[in-house]
Amino acid sequence: MPFVSAAEWTPPKSVQVVVIGSGAGGAVAAARLAAAGFEVVVLEEGGHYQKRNFRMREDEAFPQLYQESGTRATKDLGIAILQGRAVGGSTVINWTTSFRTPDLVLDHWQKVHGVQEFGAAELRPHFEAVEARLNIQPIPLEESNRNNRLLWDGCEKLGYSIEVTKRNVKNCFRSGYCGMGCPVDAKQSMLVTYLPEAVEHGATVVYRCRVDRLRTDGDRVVAIECSELSEAGPTGRQLSFAAERVVLAGGAINTPAVLLRSGLGDAFTGRRTFLHPVIATSARFREPVQAFYGAPQSVASHHFAHRGERAGFFLEAAPAHPMMLALAATGFGEAHRSTMVELPQLTAHLAIAIDGFSPEETGGTVELRPSGAPVLDYVLPPRIWEALQEGLRTLVRVDLAAGAEWVQTGHDPALRISSEGALASLEDHPLGPGKVAVFSAHVMGGAMVGEVGRSVVRSGDLRHHRISNLHVCDGSIFPTSLGVNPQETIYGIAHLVSERWTQHWKS
Amino acid sequence: MDRRAFLQRGLVGGAILAASACTLHAWPVQDRYQPQGNLQCLDPRTFVVLASIAARTVQDPVADPVAIAHAVDRTIALSAPEAASELRQLLNLFESGLAGLLLDGRLRPFTRLTPDRQDQVLAAWRDSRLVLRRAGYTALRKLTLAAHYASPTTWEGVGYPGPPELVEG
Repeated sequence: MPFVSAAEWTPPKSVQVVVIGSGAGGAVAAARLAAAGFEVVVLEEGGHYQKRNFRMREDEAFPQLYQESGTRATKDLGIAILQGRAVGGSTVINWTTSFRTPDLVLDHWQKVHGVQEFGAAELRPHFEAVEARLNIQPIPLEESNRNNRLLWDGCEKLGYSIEVTKRNVKNCFRSGYCGMGCPVDAKQSMLVTYLPEAVEHGATVVYRCRVDRLRTDGDRVVAIECSELSEAGPTGRQLSFAAERVVLAGGAINTPAVLLRSGLGDAFTGRRTFLHPVIATSARFREPVQAFYGAPQSVASHHFAHRGERAGFFLEAAPAHPMMLALAATGFGEAHRSTMVELPQLTAHLAIAIDGFSPEETGGTVELRPSGAPVLDYVLPPRIWEALQEGLRTLVRVDLAAGAEWVQTGHDPALRISSEGALASLEDHPLGPGKVAVFSAHVMGGAMVGEVGRSVVRSGDLRHHRISNLHVCDGSIFPTSLGVNPQETIYGIAHLVSERWTQHWKS
Repeated sequence: MDRRAFLQRGLVGGAILAASACTLHAWPVQDRYQPQGNLQCLDPRTFVVLASIAARTVQDPVADPVAIAHAVDRTIALSAPEAASELRQLLNLFESGLAGLLLDGRLRPFTRLTPDRQDQVLAAWRDSRLVLRRAGYTALRKLTLAAHYASPTTWEGVGYPGPPELVEG
């Protein structure tokens, strides 16, 4: 019984290795540890949905596959957060964009945050391995959909550097539904790669099983306490069992939440959570764009990733299906409807701020609500608002250069800009919380790696500083954001650290 | 408004909001938009308020405010338990005549205003100096619009042909 729901599962008295979370970090770790001969149980709070369940409908996909049905947001509701919740985690719903961690970021972690043993040279063979396993390859520009192509064209006209991205797909027919679960298993998500591999080597994946807390005694986790879930929520049945070692990989927000619920909170746990805050434009073109079809993301511009003293940003495209556009389009009533009816003619372009690289950018803090559910408190600092403002200006210019009739912003009410001359009107509408739509699809940090007294887990093996049999293995260990889409960084770090565990734990 | 005035208004506002929460149930809400079936998070009263808001935020010939409010009710049921009580509080505040008097100079509950006045209330929340009111507006706007446009019934009207047919093999 390799994939089993908590309702059908009777835990053994003790498990050798428990991996909490089945996304990019947990799945890779589980596969590598199982292949090395460890007895592995993976716990996943989401459901086990597969190809046949992925019917390319937003009304089904969001409740099934997203945290809080897609309504997750920061505490003041200022930033909407898209994060996965299913067997395979966010890899089931991400848009497949794959980047290695920039060397500059790894150097910054080492110099500023004291991170050791995660340098570019150490990670390189692991990136190569996951790229081969997940078929991570660049997409030819000719295979870009028009939404991505227009971003490319606009950047070229203005002389901004732009590149095609790599994607983790195999035999992809570019339907455009990556965000609702791949209907043909073309996306090489954890669901169809490392998790089946873990299971082949004897691992058990228990889904609809939420970890409430880790019970500790001295410097060890002695029990994992879980709730059995149904589609509707907790059933009331509790499960508790022991584990020799625990790998926590619930993803940023949920991983620090488990630590906080376990009484392991300190001055670092849940802190420094970063989001790559996103601001979007919708530009109208005379010829149909159909941003709902085709590979959702296939180009990226990092031309503005390094802006000296100011925070950087990068540009990418997003898919636009009706509900997604309804969330991105601001206003209400007729104003909102006037955007919706333009759907086939609209682009969806993003400016993504790179947060966490200056002392002022301390990120958000994960807190627990009375029920134990986490919420992220993140009020963006002025540097990030400036990056978003400049990112928005840049996107409007790019869209106009590509030939847009008008470009609509995420202000509420929205601004429609139809000429370079009208760009100045942006200055009259400063951004701020609740004044403009801001999103995030990249949640990072909250259990950062680094030196004792400054972080949650240590360098090298990502072991918790105080708990000797607890390790963290997901995007929550990042001391900053990345400036690129995070999935491949998580794969690479998980691949590297699980090799180290295999060596240490065997001896 | 300076900080002192804001604080005073905040204190007075708190007292009025507390009073309005007590007196709220004395006001009958609109008869329209009654729930059709079981509710998971909302009570019948807040359901009607939410459906009345949906009737203004969602301008689509195929929109059904009752169906939208039921869809939001189901969505919130899958979130943290706190989300349901926060949504009910927000809807009660939105409806409240006393809160409306304090914040927008209206005494009538939201559900009993004309459509034009209802739009003015939504705009007042949107344009408020208070981040909390802007957040409340955003939450209600997004919940109702997302619940509506998630439905395949909306596809034709926005020119979305829907997903491709997959052929086995």
